[in-house]
Amino acid sequence: MRRRKFLTLSASALASSMIPLRAFSADAGFSDYKCLVNIFLLGGNDAFNLVVPSSSAEYNIYAASRQNLAVPQADLLAINPSNPDGASYGFHPSASVLRDLFEAGDLAVMANIGPLIEPTTKDAYLSQSVALPPQLFSHNDQQDQWYTLRGKLSLSTGWAGRIADLLQSSTQAQQLALNTSLFGTTLFQASDTSVPYTVGVGGANTYGALDADAFLGSSRRAAFEAYLDRGFTNLHARALSEVHQRSLGTADQVNEALALVPQLATPFPDSSLGKQLNTIARLIAVKDEFAMSRQIFFAATGGFDTHDNQNQVQPNLIQDIADSVGAFNAALMEISQSDSVVTFTQSDFGRTLTSNGDGTDHGWGSHQIVTGSAVIGRDIYGTMPTLEIGGEDDATGGRIIPTTSADQYAATLARWFGVDESDLAQVAPNLGNFTSQNLGFLG
Amino acid sequence: MRMGFLCLFIVLLSACGGGGGSSSAEAPAPALAPVAPPSSTPPATTPPPPIIPPPTVPPTVPPSDPVPSGISLSEGHRFLIQSTMGIDQDDVAALQALGFEPWIDEQIQHPVSNQLAYLASLPEPANNFQGQANRIDAWFRYAVQGDDQLRQRVAFALSELMVVSDSSTLFNTPTGLADYYDTLATHAFDNFRTLMQAVTLHPAMGVYLSVLGNEKPDASRNIRPDENYARELMQLFTLGLVELNMDGSVKIDSSGEPIPTYDQQIIEGFAHVYTGWTFGGSTNFDRPSFNFTIPMQAFPDFHDTAPKALLSGVVLPAGQTPEQDLDQALDNIFNHPNVAPFVSRHLIQKLVTANPSLAYVNRVALVFSDDGNGQRGNLAAVVKAILLDTEARSLANDSGGKLVEPILRLVQLWRAYNASAASGRFYFPSPEQSFAQAPLRSPSVFNFFSPFYAPPGEISDRGLVSPEMQITNETTIASTHNYFAIAVFLQNSSTPDLRDDVIAIDIASDIALAGDREALIDSVTIRLLGSAPSTSLRIQIDELLNRAPTDNAEFTVTEVIHAVVTSTEFARQR
Repeated sequence: MRRRKFLTLSASALASSMIPLRAFSADAGFSDYKCLVNIFLLGGNDAFNLVVPSSSAEYNIYAASRQNLAVPQADLLAINPSNPDGASYGFHPSASVLRDLFEAGDLAVMANIGPLIEPTTKDAYLSQSVALPPQLFSHNDQQDQWYTLRGKLSLSTGWAGRIADLLQSSTQAQQLALNTSLFGTTLFQASDTSVPYTVGVGGANTYGALDADAFLGSSRRAAFEAYLDRGFTNLHARALSEVHQRSLGTADQVNEALALVPQLATPFPDSSLGKQLNTIARLIAVKDEFAMSRQIFFAATGGFDTHDNQNQVQPNLIQDIADSVGAFNAALMEISQSDSVVTFTQSDFGRTLTSNGDGTDHGWGSHQIVTGSAVIGRDIYGTMPTLEIGGEDDATGGRIIPTTSADQYAATLARWFGVDESDLAQVAPNLGNFTSQNLGFLG
Repeated sequence: MRMGFLCLFIVLLSACGGGGGSSSAEAPAPALAPVAPPSSTPPATTPPPPIIPPPTVPPTVPPSDPVPSGISLSEGHRFLIQSTMGIDQDDVAALQALGFEPWIDEQIQHPVSNQLAYLASLPEPANNFQGQANRIDAWFRYAVQGDDQLRQRVAFALSELMVVSDSSTLFNTPTGLADYYDTLATHAFDNFRTLMQAVTLHPAMGVYLSVLGNEKPDASRNIRPDENYARELMQLFTLGLVELNMDGSVKIDSSGEPIPTYDQQIIEGFAHVYTGWTFGGSTNFDRPSFNFTIPMQAFPDFHDTAPKALLSGVVLPAGQTPEQDLDQALDNIFNHPNVAPFVSRHLIQKLVTANPSLAYVNRVALVFSDDGNGQRGNLAAVVKAILLDTEARSLANDSGGKLVEPILRLVQLWRAYNASAASGRFYFPSPEQSFAQAPLRSPSVFNFFSPFYAPPGEISDRGLVSPEMQITNETTIASTHNYFAIAVFLQNSSTPDLRDDVIAIDIASDIALAGDREALIDSVTIRLLGSAPSTSLRIQIDELLNRAPTDNAEFTVTEVIHAVVTSTEFARQR
């Protein structure tokens, strides 16, 4: 009964994340399940210390730039890419799980990627003859570039949100929003036609005083819901009440579904990221309870803005990514969803090759990782930069100019996810400026 | 009846265990259990009492006596929502007696509540978690009980502008953070330039944004100065990324593009300014004192002495001392035209409305630029201009006002009902788990939410913002609802066997009204809303009371209070 009431409430296209909103004709929908998981490394991950050249000529350039922040050559965990570029590379010693996934063919490195509007050379950058994303090197602006790919456009939607818009008619049967965040509201998932769902690591939060088991809880709930349904003239009050309605309208069903998999056999790290990925794995395990065929999850973890104490802090940051991602991949194996889930990282920016004494500052291009059985792993995609201060890839001050754009990365993921070739430019607005629209790590 | 209460209580505890803000700091769960669970499960089948027909008399506000200032109860309440941490009934009377401007003048004269001194009066904490709990205790103590209410409110707004956070290595220095908060409170009505200097040289900021220990460049080792503070002081605390008009709107160049306030070279210029500083009282740069409660000091040998290009074409000459460079660099920022609209808009958004008109920002920014006596940056004058502006004093339209910040909703409940614990403490160490906020505990330097956040939908479509909505999602909204249930149903002056550290609201005067529905509802809503409830809220309250047992005053009273504090009209300010 409540459910029907909720449907009628949804005249506003944004009132509900539970129910598909538009009554236009649905197509047959997808017959398979696919899922993208975005792990956002907040603060700007220094991936030039995650994947490091190990061949002496390249290592020496790296070490000369990095000085006291260089990972010792002997500590690097060697990898064997399928298509070597002439140099050899190794992972940071805290990333043994990632190295193993790489060698097993389930993980790829996307080299030197970042927000770009068009291909950008050093000369063009220095002579200002190329369009650049606004406010390079600023945290929130560059996070927003990764989330929206908007370049200089004034887009208020994220690229995952636009995927939800594009796939709306194919995902009509889904009872939860295509987008779910484990890390609060995110611009990445902002959409024109649906509201992303936000859930906590412990599952959906319920209202104790409105619980059927509480004294008069059911009548208290009915009175509160009736109060919300009567509506509000004030804009802010209305926004607040819509969140109440979504929260009350989804929590019980989500928790009932999660209760079907109270615990996975795979152990996860007790970190924030580990908990988020654990909950994502459980939600994937119960996807059929909500008739989900396409899902995009957002997870995030912070601490990567290593201005200080980088040598002390970075090993723990990398260890957490490696162990959490490793556990997540193992959990997907446990629930037989390895082939249907692709996990990828994004981060504000890379960091300066130069040191400020004990840390690094805001850079631009950086490496990202993509993992899952669907990934054509054991390879480095794109072009490894020259890690030389003042070298051909250095914008200035050890800030490396990306050689692959975040648009190309998103388009490659979106294509695999089921977005039509002709719609990819809606996901990644600057895609047309780049030659390759498929980076190949998903075939 | 007691069985029913215990049943409610159990559900609340289990509900608040789940979820929690995924972005909140991880800390042990708050100790909330005031009483032991019952040994046997109570029956969940308590029959509802007979339904009483709703009253036909519409709710009314009792006429208030004429006051010298002519300020009505609801006008006074609305003003105090903007200018204090929360309202007790004495506040309204004092305001009505004085009038708006004299009340502000009087508040400005109040001595500063001092968190550091309070911390020093407490037993030495066993660990940093307890140390931070003491700091949060101090914050609630002064928020709920402090006499310097306007100062506390402005300090809280400043703490969300010039952000430091214990979600960082500063977790290890509760006293440093308490002293930082005291610094904000001390300078809340001072000159903004003075505040900039105090913030810049505070060791908590020095650690948080890396000025402390920042060295001059060493080209032979590819070492250049840290750019963290250079960037964020301008981007987040004072100027913003693009040039602004006096009314806060973005300036556009001849090709229709915004004009960046600064570029990477200017950031590097400032990064070189902020070199050579470490803890005050250090014997040398590499042997710091770790004294977190005195300003940083400079060691010239570690300071860069080359010329430095700053804003507005200013170049600092070579060979200056660290102090000369810092003074002139902060002057350079302070005198940039953006500071007036940028800081004015921030304070307006925090105190009055999420979407001020351009004219309102312009009026306040003009006062920031010149307080009438030729002084730029007089924060007392700015705060007064914000609160006395016609846009603040006239009732807002449907898109006006703002959401009350979640943690301030709790303070408002506690202050309205003189909440206290028998221990005299405010032990509530992890408010972020229920309110997605805690003082000096934001996830990053970007504060809990962005001043530009617009939830998708009608707010975004209309080009408006609702910043607090960024931390209002399915998870956090239920957490907040749950804490209000605990704070009202389980932690009040009629609750038996309260542990002495439980913060309980004092509902005694409402208990006396429990038999008179109209009087009770008037009492609760005037305390919490400054007016009668909306018709819709009144219907909800009647529905609740019609089903509630009639023989339990505590239940009746808390049901009404709970309905009001979880209503949307309590969660937003007009």
